[in-house]
Amino acid sequence: MYGRKACQLVKELASGEKGQLTPFNSDLFEQVVAECTQHHLELQALIRKMQEEGLDVQTTRNAEHHGALIHHLSLVRNKRCLMAYVYNRAETIQSLLWKIGHVLPQEIEEKLCHPEVEYFKKHSAALKSYMSKMQLDLTVDMVPPKDPYIQVRVLDDIGDGIVLSDDKTANFARHSMHFLKRTDAEQFISRGLMEELTG
Amino acid sequence: MASSDAEGLSIPIDDYETLLSTTDVELLKRAWRNEKAAPDILRFETDLIGRIREQIQLMEETAEEKSAAGVDPLSLSLYQMDLDRAQFLLRSYLRIRIQKIEKFVFHIAKTEELWNKLSREEKNFARRCTEDLKQHLEDSVLSKLPENYQSFQKQSVISEEDDMIPEAQLDTFVVCRSKEYLTGIQLEDGPVDDRSMLFEMEPGVLYFICYKSIKALVESGKIDLL
Repeated sequence: MYGRKACQLVKELASGEKGQLTPFNSDLFEQVVAECTQHHLELQALIRKMQEEGLDVQTTRNAEHHGALIHHLSLVRNKRCLMAYVYNRAETIQSLLWKIGHVLPQEIEEKLCHPEVEYFKKHSAALKSYMSKMQLDLTVDMVPPKDPYIQVRVLDDIGDGIVLSDDKTANFARHSMHFLKRTDAEQFISRGLMEELTG
Repeated sequence: MASSDAEGLSIPIDDYETLLSTTDVELLKRAWRNEKAAPDILRFETDLIGRIREQIQLMEETAEEKSAAGVDPLSLSLYQMDLDRAQFLLRSYLRIRIQKIEKFVFHIAKTEELWNKLSREEKNFARRCTEDLKQHLEDSVLSKLPENYQSFQKQSVISEEDDMIPEAQLDTFVVCRSKEYLTGIQLEDGPVDDRSMLFEMEPGVLYFICYKSIKALVESGKIDLL
């Protein structure tokens, strides 16, 4: 049946958790694209047939016209599904920038197709350029501040010699605990390298 | 708390409250709340943001001076907290706008009214955003489709208008409050018979209303969103 594969593609998108990416289904995607090409071929064949019979393509309402219409509508529907798939994934990619920052972790990069990785890079650059024009990092301070300092524990070896905003350097060895400025700590927390200690 | 402070300073409460509600931080808070609650993008508060940035810079300098001079840590920490809050408001305000631009970039870019509401930097960002997203859609989907179906704005060449562009839903409901008595608000939702009825708003009362009906009043600053 026409349009079923495209529907599967969109369903895959809808059934996934919001904000999470599933691997790009290039197999199904290509099948839908192929279906589009097929629709277009048949559409052209039907129109050619009408022209050969000397009928006016705009006004004639015969079997060929209705056939062609079905192919056109199926094609448009497939296009909408493909676009929805790519567009919604692009939105998730945008939201990743806010959540995990400008570096793509390996396990997420594997789920993206090549143009998506390119898009992530370009969008990240656009955002960075905006932030540097404004001289303000918008990816920190995601929650309203309660205390300017927080207690954190380092989860992974970040290394020493990291310069903080007050020009002091710190040695973030694994499992060490620190009392840091929230704005300094946030970037490490969002990358999963530190956790906030509460209570 | 406001009233006891006001007594101490012997300023009439009304005046004190108006004074309080016109400080830049209050104005920023208002702009931030409105921006947060409005489904579409509002006008960029160019002057206000400029002033806020100057003040933040001044505060940062003062904080540094104080810490260098070894003022007692408690007052410094309070000062720092105040600064952090102002910074958060500013960042959050800009962030909400950028995220709205990300979401509706095609629509904003083609609608002059919306485009003019962006700041210069936001326009630059939006331009790059449009370019990148368009390129991405073309590379992934459109270039693989038959010729007449390659537009990112239209479903096919026979579509008369741009029917592939996501735009903000203006008929969602928002919570809002008016500062003054307003009358003659035309409701733009509900059954057609009711639409001719005009709606009025008492000052300070919360209303739950369709955004479309009060859009103009939010833009003119008569109504605040919550």
